[in-house]
Amino acid sequence: MSEEKKEIAKDMEGEAKTRRDFLQDMGAAALLGAAALMTGSDEAQAKTTWAEWFQKNYRLMTDEEKKEATLRLEERYSEEYGKKVAVDGSPAIKGVLFGMALNIQKCRGCRRCVYACVKENNQSRSDPQIHWIRVIEMEKGKFLTESMDKGYPNSTGESYGIQVGGNAYNLAGVTLEGQHYYEAETVPRKDAFYFPIQCQQCEKPPCVKVCPVRATYRDPDGIVVIDYNWCIGCRMCMAACPYWARRFNWGDPNLPKEEMNPKTHYLGNRPRMRGMVEKCTFCVQRTREGRYPACVEVCPAGVRKFGNLLDPESEIRKILERKRVFRLKADLNTYPKFFYFID
Amino acid sequence: MFLNRMINIISIITSVLIIVAVMYGCGDTKSVSKKEAEAAAPVTDCFESREGYTTVQRVENVVPEYGYPNVKCSQSTTGVLWWGDPFYGTAPMGDMPVIDDETRGDYAVAEAVVKPREPKLMYFNMETTKHCAFCHDGKIVPFPKNKKPRLLAAHQDIVANSLQLMHGRAAFWCLDCHNATNRNRLIDHRGNEISFNQPQKLCGKCHGEVYIDWRLGIHGKRIGSWTKTGKKRWWVCTECHNPHTVQMLRYNPIKPEPAPVLPKGTKSDEHEITKGKEIPLAGH
Amino acid sequence: MSILRFTIDFVKYALTGGIRYYVWLGVLGILIVPWVYGTYQQFIIGGLIVAGFTDQISWAIYEGNFIFLVGVAAAAVTVVFPYYVYKYKPLKDVVLVGEMLAITAVTMVILFILFHMGRPDRLWHMIPVIGIFNWPYAILTWDVLVLNGYLFLNFACGFYNMHQMYTGRPVNEKIYKTLVYIAIIWAPSIHIVTAFLINTMPARPIWFHSIMPIKFLATAFAAGPALITFTLLTIRKYTDLKIQDEAVNFLSQIMVWCLGIALVLTFSEVVTELYPSTEHANQLKYALFGMHGLTKMVPWLWGAWIIMVGSFILLLIPGIRKNYKILPVICIVMFVGVWIEKGMALVIPGMIPSPIGELSEYSPTWIEILNTLGNWAIGAAIFTFLVKGAIGVMLGEVRHPNFDNRNASQGSH
Repeated sequence: MSEEKKEIAKDMEGEAKTRRDFLQDMGAAALLGAAALMTGSDEAQAKTTWAEWFQKNYRLMTDEEKKEATLRLEERYSEEYGKKVAVDGSPAIKGVLFGMALNIQKCRGCRRCVYACVKENNQSRSDPQIHWIRVIEMEKGKFLTESMDKGYPNSTGESYGIQVGGNAYNLAGVTLEGQHYYEAETVPRKDAFYFPIQCQQCEKPPCVKVCPVRATYRDPDGIVVIDYNWCIGCRMCMAACPYWARRFNWGDPNLPKEEMNPKTHYLGNRPRMRGMVEKCTFCVQRTREGRYPACVEVCPAGVRKFGNLLDPESEIRKILERKRVFRLKADLNTYPKFFYFID
Repeated sequence: MFLNRMINIISIITSVLIIVAVMYGCGDTKSVSKKEAEAAAPVTDCFESREGYTTVQRVENVVPEYGYPNVKCSQSTTGVLWWGDPFYGTAPMGDMPVIDDETRGDYAVAEAVVKPREPKLMYFNMETTKHCAFCHDGKIVPFPKNKKPRLLAAHQDIVANSLQLMHGRAAFWCLDCHNATNRNRLIDHRGNEISFNQPQKLCGKCHGEVYIDWRLGIHGKRIGSWTKTGKKRWWVCTECHNPHTVQMLRYNPIKPEPAPVLPKGTKSDEHEITKGKEIPLAGH
Repeated sequence: MSILRFTIDFVKYALTGGIRYYVWLGVLGILIVPWVYGTYQQFIIGGLIVAGFTDQISWAIYEGNFIFLVGVAAAAVTVVFPYYVYKYKPLKDVVLVGEMLAITAVTMVILFILFHMGRPDRLWHMIPVIGIFNWPYAILTWDVLVLNGYLFLNFACGFYNMHQMYTGRPVNEKIYKTLVYIAIIWAPSIHIVTAFLINTMPARPIWFHSIMPIKFLATAFAAGPALITFTLLTIRKYTDLKIQDEAVNFLSQIMVWCLGIALVLTFSEVVTELYPSTEHANQLKYALFGMHGLTKMVPWLWGAWIIMVGSFILLLIPGIRKNYKILPVICIVMFVGVWIEKGMALVIPGMIPSPIGELSEYSPTWIEILNTLGNWAIGAAIFTFLVKGAIGVMLGEVRHPNFDNRNASQGSH
């Protein structure tokens, strides 16, 4: 451990300690104060809610506190959803930096990744409907003689100014002009290609920078995570994200019991509460145990690839080596760990 | 003294905030039970990548620890959306030729399994008096004398016109891949018999570059573990591509899953389609 | 215990008035009743889903008001600065009004922030030591610091000054002047930091402009003095406090020049964006002309600009500027114009189209509108109380029984 790191660790320890002492005093007083008002509500649930409300940022918890927090959640979720729920808290694997690549050439726009993600990650199904992945249909476009006057400036009866005709208004490949709500009998549609977007797991994430309470942070394996219990719902991150990757629980999430996925991670797909932000975590509950993310597995065309960027033999590194790759909005210097490629 | 007072003040504020917090907490559970959606019966007949070909039945509770079924499928398209057990109903992929350069795959270190195709083949699995080898035993249907293409009366459900096989642009036809004397196996150009479970060994003979990409895991699809040594289920060529029509459609079109709901405040997606013009743009 | 006594006397005076005063408070009260319902709906029952927010438009009216009100708060400096630095005497009685306005505006800012937050119960996560305060990385933490600091400074300056006037004792010049000068420097900082809060996001091209801080200041120093001028003219009409014409004229001059600067800056921004007309101009284009047939924002932005240009032209004419019958009307209209321009018409187009090109539109819900109106009513009530009390102190009607007459004549500024 370098000197600097040691110091940070010491700081964090110190911070944790003061807070613990403080909370012991404060907790007792507050509990007494509020207890009187709590009669009538379910005692066990109230206790859990309090304990959750008082717990600190996940990153600053000691191992013991982490265990306590996950156990508490397991108990509450199991009761709430009527099945045995596991809440994992495993940290990043050493020597792993996750990356995903998506073959933009082969995406068919079937949206299965969107719903696989919902099934895996316990998003609110409706009111609000939360999807972490958005698939955009882009125009391939056609240049037609008939549409020579359809462009800008509109040439019928107007002077061209400095431009001499040739206006074939066409959105072929124009980003930001795609269709988000396309419906079709079958995909891919004839004149379209498709562009799925989700959290790009940036190396320099603008969302993390702006969080006033460090509820969102980047773990060493490159996954930008959110401590759902620490988020204050200020939505700075939502405004700052250039990829529109973050979603908000505007109301109480609506997750039917029978659809709830009981294998969860504290920083990943555990059921969320109202008033906080969530987003793609590369299925942290799966990937930290070695399994592919749900969207990678579901893609019927196999356009999504996932692996360890530090391993030269991994499929993701082979793609970087063999294919033409680009990152979305590279001009923003966010250095995503999500790559788009073509064969 | 000061600190004590501070703590007292903060405690009072905290108590008030807790009450709000608890109300939020109570709100959570209340609305879950209130809003609980009526569960439609789960879809049991599903397909993976190729509709009508890679069919799979939903089996409940194959992972008892979490109560997972083998697959969860889409209500609207019956496409498989999620694998509870990525290896359910799979068999070892079998040996693959060793390539000893930088393009070798990770067969050497990782367990590779596939969904065996043979149990699903229609003629292959008929009783012995009817299955492929019963007709194609050289007696009922004589073995063809040569591989010269000709119009076939049989199997028109698979290939309508055997002289216009939609694969290879007339460079080859049925018997370049199907074994003339043993219809239960495929055959390569050197006469090696190949199992229907391992079509990649055959396809890779011509499609070398794609084959290498596939072995590297960057073409096609694998599920299971992303780790170098982890077990993976590999999708073989024919699970995504129909070799009999691939020239027409590299990949069969499928029905997409439903569009997300429109954000409230936005009444329709008309503006996306027409881009604000009265006449929709070409192609839409 | 002169502080306790001062507080009681101040509140007593602030709560007593003529019929017109109670009618005004009654109107505000009527606006606050639905606010109670809306607040209950949002904070206890439904959460933010009762408002018109979507993942696409995650900031809207609440945030627009927050940004606008920071400007109003900062505008107190337009009276404090000339009085203390240039020793411009006609502003003597106006300084306190400015400070009361700053206190009110910051309180309203905090109120709107609470309405903006998804989890106000977790606000304690920001408290250093027990929580995590992501300073200096998150600009929001800077904003929290400057806003609370500004609230403290104005509260300290204003009430210390009034307390001394109340008892008749002179102010401690060293402490008081120090605080005042800090407050003067501090005032623009709150608005500059608020501009940095949103203009440091390349994800939102309409905000991503280096002229944002200066434009914020310019519009703030137009809208703020407009409100102060309106208040002064009202005070002059309904109370015994004599506000000098020079004070009003001085403020209306600040107003007109700042408005002019704001218009130039707006014009520069429009030219810079629309001439090359890159993809980054889409949000401005949406606000200005609508996009693909979605035009909800268009009348608001054009309306605001027409108001601002109109007010500027009218205020340039001395005859109108000095006509105290017309001036308050222009002040209020211009205030509303700026409110639209840097509130809704700035925040909402920042969300449309979304960073990945999705066009959607925003409609506020009734609860959201009622809450916004209620917050303004609460702000108006606070401002009324504070100014009423301050007038009492300035008139000498709120006075300690053992008032020290020796300093009475010279006042304590």
